[in-house]
Amino acid sequence: MSMVVKNELRVCLLSVKYNIMREMLNKVTFLTNILFMALNNATFIVQWVILFSLREDIGGYAIQDVMLLWGLAASAFGLSHILFARVFSLPELIINGKLDAYLVLPKNVLLSVLTSATSTSAIGDFLYGLIILCVFSFSIGKFFLFLLFSITGAVIYTAFALLMGSLSFWFVRSELFGSHMVSSMISFGTYPDGIFKGMVKFLLYLVIPIGMAIYQPVHIMISFDAGKLLVVLGYTFLLSAAAVFVFYRGLRRYSSSSLMGAKV
Amino acid sequence: MRKYVVIYRSVLIENLQYAGNVAMGFISYFIIIFIFIHLWDYMYASPDSLIAGYTKEQMIWYVMITEMIWFGTRSNTITRQVSADIRGGNIAYLMNKPYHYTLYILARYTGEWSIRLPMYAALSTLIGLTMVGGLASFRLVTFLAALPCLLLGVTIHALFKLCISLLSFWVEDANPFQWLYDKMILVIGTIFPIEIFPDALQPLFKLTPIYTVCYGPAKLLIDFSMDKYLEVLSAQIIYLAAGCGMMFFIYGKGAKKLYVNGG
Repeated sequence: MSMVVKNELRVCLLSVKYNIMREMLNKVTFLTNILFMALNNATFIVQWVILFSLREDIGGYAIQDVMLLWGLAASAFGLSHILFARVFSLPELIINGKLDAYLVLPKNVLLSVLTSATSTSAIGDFLYGLIILCVFSFSIGKFFLFLLFSITGAVIYTAFALLMGSLSFWFVRSELFGSHMVSSMISFGTYPDGIFKGMVKFLLYLVIPIGMAIYQPVHIMISFDAGKLLVVLGYTFLLSAAAVFVFYRGLRRYSSSSLMGAKV
Repeated sequence: MRKYVVIYRSVLIENLQYAGNVAMGFISYFIIIFIFIHLWDYMYASPDSLIAGYTKEQMIWYVMITEMIWFGTRSNTITRQVSADIRGGNIAYLMNKPYHYTLYILARYTGEWSIRLPMYAALSTLIGLTMVGGLASFRLVTFLAALPCLLLGVTIHALFKLCISLLSFWVEDANPFQWLYDKMILVIGTIFPIEIFPDALQPLFKLTPIYTVCYGPAKLLIDFSMDKYLEVLSAQIIYLAAGCGMMFFIYGKGAKKLYVNGG
């Protein structure tokens, strides 16, 4: 069993490695994409400097806490798009019958699909998050927690995208709805949860899982709480399990479009 | 000119078929506005206080109008399609047609936002009236007067985006330049009115496209004044002329550089 898991992980890592190598064929474009994405994210620092010039705290956050929030959101989003970029175009694969090429592979279908593409600019997002952490609130403990939460955030983000994408197995026109729901995670994830009240907070923790992907991890990094950490880890596991379950249930309904294709 | 009208009309009719898809985009727009309503609710200590001379309602309406322009005019036609045409060589086929390529793209783009923008305007009005409340300073006459500024702003935005896409003649991927331009517009002109920035920076921002693309039209819609109207309109005419000149110049230079491998 452990051998099978080891082999699957090895194939996944190789797949990501070759995706990145393919993107690196044009080195100038590769580096420009990374650098400009980091700069692109950095422009939002202006927004927060302006807002904090109007009030000392926003939703209970100081400026370094908001930067931590932004950094974690960027890193989790980046990691998800580096490792599992194909999940964000899953509806297209399902609707156009392009899953055939993955079904015939002698490896796990879901992992093969997820790791079959990489977004170059996402490397810029991931690095931006790390830079923000180092500039605004670095400590050894925070650094390791940040890495851990970047991984859990990326898994939650991917799992939510997988759930939304899998809706296409049942509803043909659900891809736009799903993509807007997934992008809403980033919209909410870059603003402090303290500005939202009542029912909205409930939605952000249960319907759109940004609470567990970004808000709780930031609270834990600001003031460590082992209980909250276990809740985040448990939530990540449960959401991933639910997303995998829904994907395989949906896969039973999948029918090929007789499209000729090959996955090399 | 007639041929561009035909292109515009055909794209307009084509896009009417996809009005349902446009409506799905309302989800993202609503979420952004929802966040900003909560943010400004928090930022304004009391409902009557002013920030940079704006009441809370004016500030939220400002964001709703600029975001409406942002969402209502988003299109791959002036960005990814132009880059793909240049990189893929399709431009060699399109430039031989009896139209100017850049004007063809602009006509297509205008056909697209002619459907999207009014839909987003209707949604903005609905959200604004139900969640924020009306604007005390709003008058129908000033709205009609500000409308040409809104349309000019959208066209100037398209010209600059198209110019950036035309850089694909020289660089393989012009997208990173689009991100930076977009973020400049978004952070400085869309999220905040210019008055919120330090006094020293405001004259500088007035010289950028931000003033003509989003700040000017939004400011006129929420707080119209004849002086501001003439100022914005004059700046827009200058920017339109400069933008057109730059577009034809970059395209002319790029087209000379083009070579076709055959196939």
